[in-house]
Parts: sequence; C-alpha cells; structure tokens
Amino acid sequence: MQYFIDLVIVGLSIGMVYGLVALSISFVYSGLDIVHFAHGEIYMVGAFIGVVLFQRLGLNYPLLIVASMILTGVVGVVIERLFYRRLTQGGGGYTVAGMGMIICGFGMSIVLQNVAFLIWGAKPLPFPVSFGMPIEMGDLTLPRSYLWIVSAALVLMIVLHLFLKKTRLGLSVRAVAHNKEIAFLMGINVPLMISVIFGIGCALAAAAGVLIGPINYVQVLMGLGILIKAFAAAVVGGFGNLPGAVLGGLLVGVTESLGAGYVSGSYKDIYAFLLLIIVLMVKPSGILGVEAKVKA
Amino acid sequence: MLEVQGVEGGYGSVQILNGVSLKVGRGQIAALLGGNGTGKSTLLRTISGLIKPWRGTISLDGERIDGRRPDLIVRRGLVQVTQGKEAYPAMTVEENLRLGGYVRNDRAALRRNLERVYEYFPVLKNRRNQLAATLSGGQLQMLCIGRGLMSEPKMILLDEPSAALAPQVVLDIFRIINRICRDGMTLLLVEQNVRMALLLAEYAYVIRDGVIHIEGPAEALIKDDNVRLSYLGGTVADRDHGLTMRP
Repeated sequence: MQYFIDLVIVGLSIGMVYGLVALSISFVYSGLDIVHFAHGEIYMVGAFIGVVLFQRLGLNYPLLIVASMILTGVVGVVIERLFYRRLTQGGGGYTVAGMGMIICGFGMSIVLQNVAFLIWGAKPLPFPVSFGMPIEMGDLTLPRSYLWIVSAALVLMIVLHLFLKKTRLGLSVRAVAHNKEIAFLMGINVPLMISVIFGIGCALAAAAGVLIGPINYVQVLMGLGILIKAFAAAVVGGFGNLPGAVLGGLLVGVTESLGAGYVSGSYKDIYAFLLLIIVLMVKPSGILGVEAKVKA
Repeated sequence: MLEVQGVEGGYGSVQILNGVSLKVGRGQIAALLGGNGTGKSTLLRTISGLIKPWRGTISLDGERIDGRRPDLIVRRGLVQVTQGKEAYPAMTVEENLRLGGYVRNDRAALRRNLERVYEYFPVLKNRRNQLAATLSGGQLQMLCIGRGLMSEPKMILLDEPSAALAPQVVLDIFRIINRICRDGMTLLLVEQNVRMALLLAEYAYVIRDGVIHIEGPAEALIKDDNVRLSYLGGTVADRDHGLTMRP
C-alpha cells in the first residue's frame, strides 16, 4: 500500500508537469488553431532561463518561476511575430489545415535546440534549488519539490481559469479563440491578442520547465520527451479542451508511474501511449472532448 | 456621417465591388438592398475594415477610415452588427454584451449601456446568465443588436437582421430597430427582405453586380415598377399587406 501511494504521489506530481505543458499546447491550439510542435523547446528554454536566473541572481523559487514565465513569454511573442505570423496570415488565417505552420513548428524546434546548444552547451545543468527536508506524514515521506510542483501548477491553472472567466482581457481572449473576425468587429485588437495568447501559452510551458528542473537536470534535448507526453495527455483529455489537458496530464503521469513501479521501469515511456491507444479506441474525441469542435 | 466614394474591392483577385458610392446622413436610416451575391456583404465588410478596399474612399464624419484596422473603426463609433448566428455560443448573454462594450473601459458606462440594452430587449435580461447557445433565433438577433449598442456607437451597420427568422419575429425586431433609430441612431440596414427594409428606411440603395443600381427615397422605391418587379414580387394582395404594416 505504502509503495502504491508513493507511486501515485510521484505520478501526480509528474502528471502536473505534463498537464501544464498539455494545457499550454491546448491553449495555443484553442486560441490560434496552431498545433505548435516547438512547444517542448519553449519548455526547455523556460527551464534554462530559470537555471540562469538562479545561478546569476539567486532569486527565490516562486520569483524564479514568474521571471522565467515572463521572459519566455516574451521570447514566444517574438518568435510568433517574426516567423509564424506570416504563415498563419498567408494561408487564409489561423486554420488547422495550415500544414506550413506544422512544418515551421518542427523547424523552430530544431532551431531552438541548436540555439540552446550554442548558448548553454550539451552538458546537462543541475538546478540545485534547496527545498528543505522532506515532509514526514506517518510513514509517508513527501519530498518538498513534489509539493512545489503540485501547488505551483494548481495555482497557475486557477489563475488561468479566473483570468479567462473573470477579466475583460480574458473575455477577449475567448472571443478571439472562437472567431477572430467577430472579435475584430467587437473592437478587439486581434493581432495584439494573438500575441497575448501565444505569450501566455509559452509562459505556461516555461513554468513547467522551471518546476521539473530541480528533479531532473536541465538539458537541451529535454523538450522532445515532454512534447510527446504532453500531446498524449492533451489528446487523452480531448484536444483543445483546457480542463481535459490537465486531467489527461494527471492520468498519463499516474499510469506511467504505476506501470514503471509494478511492471517494469525500462518500459516507462510505453505506458502513456498504451493509455492513449485505449482512450482513443473507447472515446476518439478524448475524455472531455466533444465530437464537434466548440471552443471558447 | 458615412460617405462611401467609388469603392472597388473584393477577395484575392476577384473583384466584387465595382465602384460603390453611397451616403448616410446623421440620424438617417438608409437601406442597402440586393439579392445574394450582389456585393452587399463585401461592401459591409469593406466599410467595417475586415477587408481593405482597392480603390475609393470611405469616410466617417469627414475622416478617412478606409484601410484602417476594424477595431480602430469601432473605436471611432462605427459598429457592424452581425447576424444572430454570430453570437458567441459558449458565452453567456451578458458576456456577449460585455464583449460588445469592450472598447468602453469605464465600468459606469458599461453598466448604463447594459441597462439600456436590457430596456430595449427585456428578454435578454431574463436570460442574462444563460449560454447564448440556448437562445432562439430571434433572441440571438436581439443579442447581436444589443451587443452592437454596448459601445455607444454613433452609427451601426446592421447585417440582415431578418435572416432565417419567422415573419412575426422579424416584425418585432424591426419595431425595436425603429425605436433605437428614433432615439438618435444612424443606421445603414443591409437587407434581402426588401419590403421590410423599405418600410423602415428613409432612403435606399439597391446594389447589383457590385454597383449601386437604383437609389432614392424609400417611398419612391416602393412605387418604382422596377423595384416592385425585381425585388418585391408576389401578388398585389401581398404587396398591400406589406404596405399596411408600415409602423
């Protein structure tokens, strides 16, 4: 039993990171109809920015998360303005059919990996944030880093939810997500709002990178694995559905952790996809997905 | 107030507008009539800035607005009211209305405008927290008109308020539009329902093949044989019924 609970706790905290990245991918997709394949690299850049800020400025952890989110968000906005905007506007707007956008995403992922390699090198960087002693609850030991992951991710999700539901800017983000032309007629500055949406998506991925950093090392290729897992999570939950992305992330995390614990650790990466295949067989639109695409 | 001068435009390389000119004075109700594929919607989208005109000028109160971004045109007080089906279905009635008032960053004004819209359309107030997806076609049309009024525009462009609605509902909606105009709104009404539009409007333009084909005071157009034959159709009895509905 003890072993089981440990595995679930590990699964949930890793799942929160998957969920956060899946959420950011889904957010960009539902907002801009872009399936962004360089999002794993945005996560990687976020983690590196976190490490650098930690080493150079010695910021405390929450500040580190926020600072990395802001800086990575700005990086994302610049990338979107410089490279993606032409494609999405050239090909009849922000449509999923935009194959060019998908290829450009893959290209950007390679470019970002190599830029990161030039700046930070190939060696994995440690991210030695000290969280203090693990918490003892009965015979349960809970490393504080997991607690940080779960609580920080929860806070970010709640803030995103309140932002979308309660603020004027959030309302306009939803309007742009649903229909850009109508949003224009409401007097919303749509080009600016597209930047805002992409920036928020990148900031969320960066937060996930800073959260995972202290558990794993920070390295140039860390974006590949997470991208695939996060896509699996997003599809399990229902692609484009924000609560679904988080749910999918948790499910993938727990499945992976239980599988590694009880079956075999060397097949760790398989379990997420087994789950994905099962969900797609039973409900192709994902757990919280709907058949017809209803957004906003 | 609105002056369109020799506007040409279209999509991609397909020219749809071949030099449209029209004028709407302050407080006037003008109608733009025409069947499918005559360029009505293209003209509307060009005026509200969604597509840029190739040639010609559009000005609002003497200031050029052609080629400007749509949100800046809204900020200048010219708002396009969409058809009912363009309400945001996954948002509540009140969220839709708040979006309409997006350019008003002032809470007091927003609350005042909300009350004004609810006064025109009491049914929206009853359903303020319902998702727009649950509204009927007529209510959606009311929602979109209300949404257009939320930013206190100087002038509205009304895109086919009668589309896909039952005649009785159309009549109700036209009564409210009439009231809104009497309260001082300038209106360019774009309609396929020529009879209803001519009852409401003071002046009308008939567009065909991307040019203004006929124009004149609504009274005159109702009597114009050409318009009767091409656009009013139907039997004499039908026509008379139409005329007696004049509000």
